[in-house]
Amino acid sequence: MTKYIETIGIEVHVELKTNTKIFSSSKNGYGQMANSLTNVIDLGYPGTLPTINMEVINTAIKAAHVLNCKIRKTQHFDRKNYFYPDNPKNYQITEARTPIGYDGYVEIEIDGEKKKIEIEEIHIEEDTCKSAHRGKVSLLDFNRAGVPLIEIVTKPCISTSLEAKLYLEKLRELLFYSDISDCKMEEGSMRADANVSIRKNITDPFGVKCEIKNIGSISNVKLAIECEIKRQSNLLDKGESFKEQTRRFDDKLGDTVLMRVKETGNDYRYFPEPDIPYIVLTDEVINSAIKSLPMLPDERREIYISKGVSLVNANKLIANRDLSDYLNNFIDTDLNFKEATNLLLGDISAYLNREEKNINDTKLTIEKFSDLVNKISDNTLTSKNLKDILDKILEEDKTIDEIIKECGISNITDSNMLNDIVLKIISENPDSVTDYKNGKDRALKYLMGQIMKETKGSANPKLVSDILIQELNK
Amino acid sequence: MKDKLTKEEVLHVANLARIEITEEELESYQVKLKELLDQVNTVNEIDDNNTDYLIAPWQNNSEFREDSVGGMLDPKEVLKNTPRKSGNYIEVPVVISNE
Repeated sequence: MTKYIETIGIEVHVELKTNTKIFSSSKNGYGQMANSLTNVIDLGYPGTLPTINMEVINTAIKAAHVLNCKIRKTQHFDRKNYFYPDNPKNYQITEARTPIGYDGYVEIEIDGEKKKIEIEEIHIEEDTCKSAHRGKVSLLDFNRAGVPLIEIVTKPCISTSLEAKLYLEKLRELLFYSDISDCKMEEGSMRADANVSIRKNITDPFGVKCEIKNIGSISNVKLAIECEIKRQSNLLDKGESFKEQTRRFDDKLGDTVLMRVKETGNDYRYFPEPDIPYIVLTDEVINSAIKSLPMLPDERREIYISKGVSLVNANKLIANRDLSDYLNNFIDTDLNFKEATNLLLGDISAYLNREEKNINDTKLTIEKFSDLVNKISDNTLTSKNLKDILDKILEEDKTIDEIIKECGISNITDSNMLNDIVLKIISENPDSVTDYKNGKDRALKYLMGQIMKETKGSANPKLVSDILIQELNK
Repeated sequence: MKDKLTKEEVLHVANLARIEITEEELESYQVKLKELLDQVNTVNEIDDNNTDYLIAPWQNNSEFREDSVGGMLDPKEVLKNTPRKSGNYIEVPVVISNE
């Protein structure tokens, strides 16, 4: 514990999942041949004019909505001027004065307590080209130039590195689920900067702020903040002062490293972008963007839990969007969600991982899945049966009944036949029967196992258990 | 009102524009840039209290573009105007990493 009060603000840049760039009709793509996704607008050629991609506006409206922001109806872009090879126009087009969203929040939960992380603003801007530094040269790839971004800025209201981590996890979940971004930090489609300062007393003004740029993962954000607070604390302990600065986190070094003492906001000489007139959002545009949002994680979690799924499994489902979407087909039915979830996260996931398939690429129709879950719930199918026929269920067009018949699965549900087997096992294992009568539960499991072995796993376990207990208690 | 900019102010602007200037140029810009600023400042004398903030030279609002991919340049064309290249990359003198 440090003796200082920590103040943290987070800025996140997120690349939007659109087909084309923000101001040009070049493809918005990742991992393609360098400089193959550009045109004269992205390259900043003189005389070119930007045009706004409708989908960028729609996606930004969705982002503002899921982050509980107010939405600004009249906006304009500004030019942020700076000379740097990543931006041949020598300015970045950004919403400096009229961010599309403002005054929002994201709710996180710490030790069962809810806390709102306040969002100062969300603004739209263009990404710059990607530069890689190799010895004495830098290599530029303009595929990223003009990719649409939103920047999400929190108020300085985050008090610990753990809160910062929880906020980013929640933000990523929300943006990913809303189809706003694929939020891959390793590919740079989500990038986080942390502003960190410390002060002695709550009544003091905020301390000198240091910004840690472009941290590569959420866990590193937590680490970077902890290192930076330690560094600032050590300096203040020694009575030393420091200037506002930009640093980066070196994960090999496990510390933050100075990049530069900050240029001030004025140095960017912002002025309105004269090539793009006012953007005016009608209620119709706003509402239709919001209406197109899919169901968000919190609502899914609530529904799953209300239908008997454990929190752990609900979270596992939500972490796998395709499975969660698939299960949502049954929200208005009386399907056994607990059994369905076990099936999806268990045998079906194992199959999908092994075959590198998506659930939507299988032959598991909604009718078939519902039939399967019911047959497992009422013990018509045992887990062993399922393992034998699952591949067929997922790969063939046939119904479950057809597959059961074809595979000759004779799930023994004939109680007379089972009764005989139960009696046989009881007579062969008198010691276990005595143990059971003396209250040893293990004996019951042992006897069950023997019966299942005798029937080669084809007996209905529920029925076996009922008959066995009945016979033992006679 | 002072009649020229300080040397620091001129050097700061030169640095933002990433240009090097000589001592002589520095002295002349202290005066010339100040004259330029004063001229621009006359705009502030206009009474614009009742005027809407016009950001573009016409009154219409922005129209939006459909999100469908259009024509792109062949990378060969892109690289034609660059003095130095490395593979398909444009090569420039190293800059301090922002990343």
